[in-house]
Amino acid sequence: MKDPTKVANVEPERIVEKEHVVQDGMDISGHWNRMFEQRTIFDYTPELLEKVRAVDGGDSFGYCYQCAQCVPVCPVHLVGDYGPRRIYRRVQTGEDLFTSPDLWQCTTCMNCLRVCPKEVDMIQIMPAVRERAILDGTVPAELQTVFENTAEYGNPLGESPKKRAAWTKKSDAPVPLMKEKKKADLLWFVECYPSYHPRGIDASLALARILNHLEVDFGILGPEEKCSCDSQRLAGEVGLFEECAEHNLKMFKRYKVRKVLVTDPHALNAFRKEYPDLGGKFETVHYTTFLAERMDELGMTKELGVKVTFHDPCYLGRHNGEYDAPRNMLASIPGVELVEMGRCRENSYCCGGGGGGMWLDGFMSDHVEMRLSEQRVLEAVETGADVLAVCCPYEVSRFEDAVKSTGNEGKLAVKDVVELVVESMGG
Amino acid sequence: MPELPILVVGGGPAGMEAARGIAELGYQAVVVEKQSVLGGTPELAGYAALTPDFADAGEAMKKMAAAIEGDPNVEIRLGSTVTAASGSAGDFEVTIKNRDTADKVRVGAVILATGFQHFDPGRETQQYGYYEFDDVITLVDLEQMLHRKELVRPSNGEVPKRLCFIQCVGSRDRQIGNEYCSKVCCGVAAKQSIEVRQLAPDCRVFVFYIDMRMYGYWENEIYWPSQEEYNVNYVKGIATEVLKKGDGLLVRGEDTTMGRPMEVPMDMVVLSVGMEPSAGTREMAKIFGCAQNKYDFIETTEGALNTVATTADGVFACGAATGPADLEDSISSAAAAAMKAIATVRRAVAAS
Repeated sequence: MKDPTKVANVEPERIVEKEHVVQDGMDISGHWNRMFEQRTIFDYTPELLEKVRAVDGGDSFGYCYQCAQCVPVCPVHLVGDYGPRRIYRRVQTGEDLFTSPDLWQCTTCMNCLRVCPKEVDMIQIMPAVRERAILDGTVPAELQTVFENTAEYGNPLGESPKKRAAWTKKSDAPVPLMKEKKKADLLWFVECYPSYHPRGIDASLALARILNHLEVDFGILGPEEKCSCDSQRLAGEVGLFEECAEHNLKMFKRYKVRKVLVTDPHALNAFRKEYPDLGGKFETVHYTTFLAERMDELGMTKELGVKVTFHDPCYLGRHNGEYDAPRNMLASIPGVELVEMGRCRENSYCCGGGGGGMWLDGFMSDHVEMRLSEQRVLEAVETGADVLAVCCPYEVSRFEDAVKSTGNEGKLAVKDVVELVVESMGG
Repeated sequence: MPELPILVVGGGPAGMEAARGIAELGYQAVVVEKQSVLGGTPELAGYAALTPDFADAGEAMKKMAAAIEGDPNVEIRLGSTVTAASGSAGDFEVTIKNRDTADKVRVGAVILATGFQHFDPGRETQQYGYYEFDDVITLVDLEQMLHRKELVRPSNGEVPKRLCFIQCVGSRDRQIGNEYCSKVCCGVAAKQSIEVRQLAPDCRVFVFYIDMRMYGYWENEIYWPSQEEYNVNYVKGIATEVLKKGDGLLVRGEDTTMGRPMEVPMDMVVLSVGMEPSAGTREMAKIFGCAQNKYDFIETTEGALNTVATTADGVFACGAATGPADLEDSISSAAAAAMKAIATVRRAVAAS
């Protein structure tokens, strides 16, 4: 006998069955009299839409009029089934976004908002709903670990905060700590991956050399620096963000910082858009913007003879409007031929690392056909470039992994723009 | 030749505006209205608020009527119809009949402002059960409820918890014969959805549509607010049938953006019925020899560059007599018709 609860497409609550029935002398008890209630094929759930809209920052979710411009430009949709229009409809037809896997796939890359005629702002909506989900305890485990690491160690990698400046020992060029130097024209906010990740450190060493060559008066915070926490904020951990921000702001105040140089576009975003609300009064510049104007002072003489394609970081480009500086840098390196990928500048494809995606590879693998970073690497390979140039610390490791997993090892190198600069300066 | 008055047939918004314009420029108008009051469909059908600005429909029509009532240049003949016409541009003779008498009047030009009638959802199709289910109503029925500020299910007098609009009923339909878009129903439904939410805040409101046609400012003035401020749910895909379910209704169709069938319970279904030429429009077209298009609206002859000229010289048409029109269109074309009718009268005087 079939288990009535497992009959295809019949929800248990629709099964009507009388325990004891005798009709015309015949016992038709139990499953012999089973009937199914007429099913509502699906219903609309305005209350679930309103639940999202009611969260502070969630209101514009209700603006969607289903034009669907967002779906084709959604980087997650290209490798999965996603996009604001689709999420809206799923919620309108019964999905609770607060507990749905749809909540965690958005990388906050902002390409949907760029094209949205109704200004449905996923950059506000997703973090706001995620914040509630975190309070309800429905956060993916790997993300929870990162939140805990950040809270305990001040970085998502779980590395020792004391060793935050350990990389500087590998540097031939001096990298002074503010704790010792006390005063500098420029604070270099190194951020986590450039401090701890081996490939991030490579870029930091290159940048240290360049800053010294330019005789920039700079210092770093080292162990006194904590994660800018922008991606954790966008992943919903607002409390953690504020804690880290307060700490960093205290340090900035201690050293009377007026100008900050950042390696990480996510830090740029936090410092420009969030820290001022918390009392931050300082100027922030991304290293590509800073260096692009001084390329002629770097004495680059070595012809590199490489074809380079450039990946715009979402948080440098779309979020903060800087598209030209990295390109100008590349253009001034001798022997670099720049070729663009189809998706570039305003329509650049997301590497998958933003909004918490950096730490959700395991979770995402259940929902996408391939990683976003793999999709992007295939686009880079298609250009015939030798080098995929990057300027966001999330990208070197993501893309190098993706080069390997897509079988393109040896065909495409992933390098930070400053690594190419240093190569041309004579290694 | 003396300067003859201009005949305006129809005392709705377009007719009143045409007469006002004629009088203001110092010419004579004779307004013939079949009903015993001025105001046309907005008045007679009991509209609540105008689209898109939510102005009180009754007040607005009163204001328009007041602008011509008592004007020495305007003769208003209520409860009257035109039954015959002869002559030509500059010098027509028309027979105007009321309940008791008929008299012949000489006029120099004619403006037909005879408007439209609402599509009757029982005329060609029973698919939505308008005559079977009390709780299936039309935009016009709902307009009257909103006018009374009493939104209840006709079947049991309770406030509905779920109400939907089904768009394009009687419009954009080759089989029904109305292939055109009726132009106003999307805006009216969006306007009414807001009024429903204001009157019954706990009532969930849905609009099932093929595509929302919100011309110009209607988009931002009514469509967007209905969704963004009043949480009205728009679902692409109009329903195909309405069935009885318990003491409510079951609306069945396809949700096209989801690509799946839908079957949703409703307490009330509002059919967004479109426009058809009114009986008056059809009759006047025959009497004045104006060609009608395949839908029986009065045909205009010079396309986009002249929206009021008919095939009969000296006879002009405006408002919804020439096709689906909103109030803004009707007022604008009425002014254009007044101008051209005056020009006809002036030419006749000059030629004599």
